[in-house]
Amino acid sequence: MSTSNVSRRNFLRAAGLTGTALCLGFYFPSNAKNSQIVAADGAAAADIELNAWIRIDTDGKVTIFNHRAEMGQGSYQSVPQIIAEELEVDLKDVNIVFAQGNQDKYGSQITGGSSTIRGSYKNLLKLSATARLMLITAAAAKWNVPVTECYAQSGNVIHRPSGKKYHYGELVVDASKLETPKNIILKKRSEYKLVGKPLHRQDTPLKTNGAAIFGLDKRLPGMLYATVERNPRLRGKVKSFDDIATRKIPGVTDVFKVQMDVFNTTREGVAVVANSTWAAIQGKKALRVEWDDTGFEHVNTADIYKRQHQELATKEGLSFKKQGDPDGIIKNAKKTLDVIYQTPYQSHSCMEPVNCIAHYQKDKLEIWGPIQAPDWVQEYLSKQLGFPKEKVFVNMTFLGGGFGRKAFLDYPHEATMISKKIGAPVQVVWTREDDATQGPYRPGMSYRAQGVIANGEISAVKFRMAGQNHNHFMGGKKDVANDSTAEGFLPPYFETIKNISFSDVPFETPVPTMWWRSVYASTNGFAYESFMDELAHEAGKDPLAFRRQYLKDERSQRLIDKMEEVSGWKNRKKNEGYGVAITECFSSTVAQVVKVSRKADGKVKIDHVWAVMDCGWYVNPDIIKAQVEGSVVMALGAATIHEITFKDGLVEQNNFYDYKMPRIADIPPIDVYIMENDADAGGVGEPGLPAFAPALTNAIFDLTSKRIRKLPFDMALV
Amino acid sequence: MINLNVNQKAYQVDADPNMPLLWVIRDIIGLTGTKYGCGVAQCGACVVHLNGEAVRSCVTKVSRAEGQKIVTIEGLSKDNNHPAQVAWNEENVPQCGYCHSGQIMSAAVLLREKPNPTDEDIDSAMAGNICRCGTYLRIRKAIHLAAELQRKESASK
Amino acid sequence: MKKQLHHKKRYLLPLRAVAVIGFLLSMVGIMAFGLNKKTEPIAGDTKTKPLVIKKDSVASVKAFKQVYTVLMSARCMNCHPSGNIPLQGDESQLHTMSPQRGIDGKGVYAMKCANCHQATNTPGLHTPPGNPNWHLPPADMKMVFQGKTPRQLAKQLINPKQNGNKNMQQLIEHADDGLVLAGWNPGEGRTLPPMSHAAFKKAWITWLTTGAYAPKGK
Repeated sequence: MSTSNVSRRNFLRAAGLTGTALCLGFYFPSNAKNSQIVAADGAAAADIELNAWIRIDTDGKVTIFNHRAEMGQGSYQSVPQIIAEELEVDLKDVNIVFAQGNQDKYGSQITGGSSTIRGSYKNLLKLSATARLMLITAAAAKWNVPVTECYAQSGNVIHRPSGKKYHYGELVVDASKLETPKNIILKKRSEYKLVGKPLHRQDTPLKTNGAAIFGLDKRLPGMLYATVERNPRLRGKVKSFDDIATRKIPGVTDVFKVQMDVFNTTREGVAVVANSTWAAIQGKKALRVEWDDTGFEHVNTADIYKRQHQELATKEGLSFKKQGDPDGIIKNAKKTLDVIYQTPYQSHSCMEPVNCIAHYQKDKLEIWGPIQAPDWVQEYLSKQLGFPKEKVFVNMTFLGGGFGRKAFLDYPHEATMISKKIGAPVQVVWTREDDATQGPYRPGMSYRAQGVIANGEISAVKFRMAGQNHNHFMGGKKDVANDSTAEGFLPPYFETIKNISFSDVPFETPVPTMWWRSVYASTNGFAYESFMDELAHEAGKDPLAFRRQYLKDERSQRLIDKMEEVSGWKNRKKNEGYGVAITECFSSTVAQVVKVSRKADGKVKIDHVWAVMDCGWYVNPDIIKAQVEGSVVMALGAATIHEITFKDGLVEQNNFYDYKMPRIADIPPIDVYIMENDADAGGVGEPGLPAFAPALTNAIFDLTSKRIRKLPFDMALV
Repeated sequence: MINLNVNQKAYQVDADPNMPLLWVIRDIIGLTGTKYGCGVAQCGACVVHLNGEAVRSCVTKVSRAEGQKIVTIEGLSKDNNHPAQVAWNEENVPQCGYCHSGQIMSAAVLLREKPNPTDEDIDSAMAGNICRCGTYLRIRKAIHLAAELQRKESASK
Repeated sequence: MKKQLHHKKRYLLPLRAVAVIGFLLSMVGIMAFGLNKKTEPIAGDTKTKPLVIKKDSVASVKAFKQVYTVLMSARCMNCHPSGNIPLQGDESQLHTMSPQRGIDGKGVYAMKCANCHQATNTPGLHTPPGNPNWHLPPADMKMVFQGKTPRQLAKQLINPKQNGNKNMQQLIEHADDGLVLAGWNPGEGRTLPPMSHAAFKKAWITWLTTGAYAPKGK
């Protein structure tokens, strides 16, 4: 945030946007980079609509608007926890509501890239401290005492010498008339009462008694329900359909063809509208649709990987990053490690299947749903419909999981098309089978890693990746390397590995792909950290000591110290396999050690997982631990249990019976530790994921000398 | 018309007797705490108590529940204070929260039938409930805590 | 070696006690045979309805071999697992979500069979098959099929200590038990046993009424 811009007078007089409330937020003039703190007054004067993160009513009620999606990662707690800290209010007295989608007001709202805290904490702290100072200033003026004699606590301003107090509600009218103060002094970390503490989440009570409203739970007056039978080949069209049986099902009110955009492609299906979800599901089952599947490749999984491997064998790809001369060294080396790693397509499989409510009216559109990117949805649909943005209202509900899937624009678009057609609010429900078979998916990837060890040291490393590039779906240029080619790889390695290169061998299929928790780091990390392990063994060195040798920066060293200490790495016993991996993404670094052993029946089991997270400045350590625990479980499933495969263009998995999930008995003990330092805040929701798979396979190598380079693999067969 | 007793309240619903109880509860009665996750009894998000048993309402026809006692997450306790609910809050179990109605309803049956469950009992009882956020370790912890709370509760009675 | 069959007044037991006995389990009173012989006949129960037993070891063993193919098919074996978790699917894999047998064979806690398995098959592929009395054999009489040789299985079926003390008549009647019949109504997408129920029943009765000989071998 640009503090120099705060000086601009942005105050509203008497009849502000909210009348008798103090409304504080930022104003993002044209982009999110330069923000200004504004109160409601100024916003109106400058003819801008305020984002309103904080709103204090005259009765003292404090409302904090959470601009980000709550999909389990904890924004519903962590955003208010930050605001309440500097605002000096008790969290229990605060009402938390989801903000509507509006990028002009809130800046980017896409809840992805583990960005909620790291992207906005400085703004939020400053905003809250500004509000507090304005309230204190208003009180001091009322009492006619120096501001320095007053302080704020639990929603009150207190005059220290006299003990007099005003609650915030009594001050908002005066405060809203004040100039936004400059030079806000923020609390020191040591002064925090809320930030950094493992506070209970405010949304938990709602999630233990059925009160939390997820997308599927939202109801509107007159709302109908719809399902859609979509082309199972992901890109195809509807040739014709027979809805005679469907229309006979009681409750079915309408059947028609519908299109939805999947980025730059179109998918067609047949919508069944009914007065209950069940009738809509039954109606969908009764449909007979003939598909037009011409004009695109019908992929098979085996062919995808075969092609990737061929490309990697012959092509250099687009250079992403290069230093030194790895090619020269590899060419002249007596011995080169040269291996292929492979990772599967993955479904997000949120517990709440994809769904969306749209209510299209003559001149406006309102959307409710589990949406990760309300601002994108607003912008996109306004363009699609030719509506001004302010006529497109996008409301986030709680999300029953997101993991990247619910940042996609296809399902709000489809719901909008259906509502437009029927002229009524409609909830479009994806069945579990729809959710599993329609994608988009994490792309299946192959990596070729080459490395030379000379005198026990790395002399060259060369990585090439081949796999679908998300950017291509969004219209990105195809002659530039995937900008995530090195994601997951620890930046400090570049200081010590002098000859190294990364390249992207462009690869396409018609399968729609999408961010999946930790995105490319989730697959890159497996290749890169498996290969570091292979290099360590080639060099005859202990894998953790080897990483210590190549990660010379202070932060990495402390992280490794901690990992060594908590995992008991140095006291490993015979018949125990230990594996380590360290990955970085979204500005946080996570190290994991996995311990494995053989059970009495000879099968390998995971005994323990230790994870150390370095995310710098942080808000709620318990949420961070929960995120890392969950990331490990998700990574365990992706590494050892499930994958999406294709046969003749059709997805072969349908539901949890063939896309199985880890269950309670499958989960090893997981201990999570958080590094304490004053570095900038990093991401939390995703960085815990990538290190698990390589730490596990490295541990299996340690125990069995079997190197696993292809995911998923069956633990029972190791 | 089908007569149902949900959370000690009588309902008369006009529904196809083959409609799964899940959709009757959600779309007709309007209690949305019970979730749709898979539709084929794989994930446990739809667990309700039918005469005290943790049935998967997505595959249970409403006709089976006629005249029986149905309890949903909304009716498990008066004030979010069933020992499992208290423990879930105490251990910060939910992340996205979508599966936890079902998780808690399953745990409640376990806690009734095995007031002092071992880890193995917990595995046996909870293996039918999927959590994509991966809160399993906390579920285990919370069930142990709930058992303790339950013991204290009954001791103080 | 022949021994007198046990006779217990099974029908006077509470309905529940009868109900807990699983597929092919409500068989009364056929004793074990000496282990040293290769084929052994069973005697009929003289205290109940007289049964005509025409001993014919060749016909008996031949009939059992047919019976065996049915019992070892997924439809029968899946609920007669060697462990305490049922199997599922045509490949007889361990049941996802690992439901436990429990004392009465009806599952435990939140994972009782009837929580998912309804009175009838749930429509659709990969949905729970149904029966009003869905269960595994109880813990004290597991009647394992999985992994048994024809000889082991034949002997187990007629061993009163393993089969729940059923008499010959009940053994025969058991061919029409509701859960046995469910094998031939397995729900969409599931393979049927290798012969019709009528053919199975005929082989079953033939096996029993020709002396219930166990095939040679291990």
